[in-house]
Amino acid sequence: METTDNLPKRRSRIHAGEERVAYICLIPAFLGLIFLTYLPLAGVLGISMTNWSGLTNPEFIGLDNYIKLFTVDPYLQDSIVATVYFSFLSVVGSMLYSLFIAVLLNRKIPARGFFRAVFYVPFVLPAVAIYVGWSWLYEANFGFFNFLLSEVGLNKILFIADSDYVVPSLSLIAVWLSGNLIVIFLAGLQNVPSVYHEAAEIDGANSWKRFWHVTMPNITPIIFYNLLLSLIANFQVVTPSLVLTNGGPGNASRFMTYLMYDQAFVNNRLGYAGATTFIIFVIIAIFTAILFKTSNRWIFYEGGDEK
Amino acid sequence: MSEAAYGRLKSKRRNERTLNMVTLVVVVIFALLVLFPIWWIFRTSLMTNAEIYRYPPSLLPGRWLFSNYEKTLDIFTFWKYLWNTMIIIVPSCLAGTFTATLCGYAFARLRFRGKKWIWMLVVGSMLLPAMVTLIPLYIGWTRGLGIRDSYLPLILPYFCGGGAFNIFLIRQFIYTIPRELDQAATIDGAGYFRILFSIIMPAIRPAMIVVALFIFIGLWNDLLQQMVYINSKEKFTIALGLTDFRGQLKQDWSSTMAATCLSFAPGVIFYLIGQKYFVEGITMTGLKS
Repeated sequence: METTDNLPKRRSRIHAGEERVAYICLIPAFLGLIFLTYLPLAGVLGISMTNWSGLTNPEFIGLDNYIKLFTVDPYLQDSIVATVYFSFLSVVGSMLYSLFIAVLLNRKIPARGFFRAVFYVPFVLPAVAIYVGWSWLYEANFGFFNFLLSEVGLNKILFIADSDYVVPSLSLIAVWLSGNLIVIFLAGLQNVPSVYHEAAEIDGANSWKRFWHVTMPNITPIIFYNLLLSLIANFQVVTPSLVLTNGGPGNASRFMTYLMYDQAFVNNRLGYAGATTFIIFVIIAIFTAILFKTSNRWIFYEGGDEK
Repeated sequence: MSEAAYGRLKSKRRNERTLNMVTLVVVVIFALLVLFPIWWIFRTSLMTNAEIYRYPPSLLPGRWLFSNYEKTLDIFTFWKYLWNTMIIIVPSCLAGTFTATLCGYAFARLRFRGKKWIWMLVVGSMLLPAMVTLIPLYIGWTRGLGIRDSYLPLILPYFCGGGAFNIFLIRQFIYTIPRELDQAATIDGAGYFRILFSIIMPAIRPAMIVVALFIFIGLWNDLLQQMVYINSKEKFTIALGLTDFRGQLKQDWSSTMAATCLSFAPGVIFYLIGQKYFVEGITMTGLKS
């Protein structure tokens, strides 16, 4: 009886010291989460209901900004379309490309480590320099891609200066940059137990079947993770608009984050930009939620039918 | 082994070898495609502008004009930009790595009340797009605290946990360290902080290096925040400097590409140094989610 009485007390004594250390360790991160993440998130909602210009005192105007954005704003709709279009191309493109390369690198080829490093290189270059560099490849008269086009007898394309081509052109850069996804896929592929493959081989499955029925189900959690990562990253695309296109030509590359930047810091409409921010937040949240909602239908978890 | 089975095995081996050869060829082609834009940019940086516009363009510069770099450095104050960038990056990397380690340790090893809730806050912030907080934070820094044209709004956030993603990474890595090590130290009378500093930290050094590299890359790639918080030219970073440079010299492609290559260089050097850790680290983030 004594022991059962003592037990919880002893445990809580251990806790006291441990807990104090834990809270001390957590202070910086906790401050960050409150003041740099969750309060600002609430702040956006508050700011979005004012007409603040940053110069005068803010006035509460309710949902006016939202109404204006959805009814008379000349950019919002184009901006959402451009962002979704860019994200779709970039996410699909980089997922296919990186899975393909990872599958190749997972085979027994010489200098695998070296090739893995090569595919990762674009990821460590500074984004601004990448866009400036690629803008030369996309140049209208003397750029490399137009040289290729003229070699095969096609007309020149303005690429980033053409409203039809600017988004696909920028997406190609995004795909090129997705070396980090390759490394993650590769790690996932290497984790697929080889006994599964051997078992399937004995049952007479060819390599395509083995890929589809053994490899794919086993890497679905990695696919999910990479999808999430590239979805959130690509929806926030802004650097190419800041460096190269200023949202143009027309509104073809006026991505949502750029729109927000333009409203807040070029036109000094902080309240209005706050409303735009919140709309972007909701759109990204919806796409993330869809991804999570559908995930238990296609993600295969090892050792569990119970989900 | 029967004759037929042996034959099957042999032909399978042969198939395997051909397939590996084909794979290698495809990998080499793709690797060349990936490296090609970088080469094209580099070769342009060594050419005269007349040579750049020649048709058909050549893969190699006629004369390797490294003097282009001297010319470019006269107008593109790269060293100053690099210095300014480092003023932001170095303290951010150190502080971010340290505070992420503290936080990751608490979640991986210590028991405390509210653990589940605080962890949910961390994971939630991982899904929150960073751009959402830009405007309120800008208002907070510039209006609330009166900090303008300063690096502080870029650096100080890293003193606060170093980002949810990095906390997550550290926690995962600490999980792989056997608990027996801590327990042995506890028996020897070491406190929780002693365990963190003398057992956990040395053991998770690769993860800490990765976190530092991730923070490096994050700041390295950022333009939006630097544009918002930094105004005066003498405070420009590489990202701001290059954006500005391109705006001024749209037609001088050889100089622009030289400036681009200069901006590539530090990233490539850091990558070559930390390559092993990089790959290891990203691998960890992908596997344990």
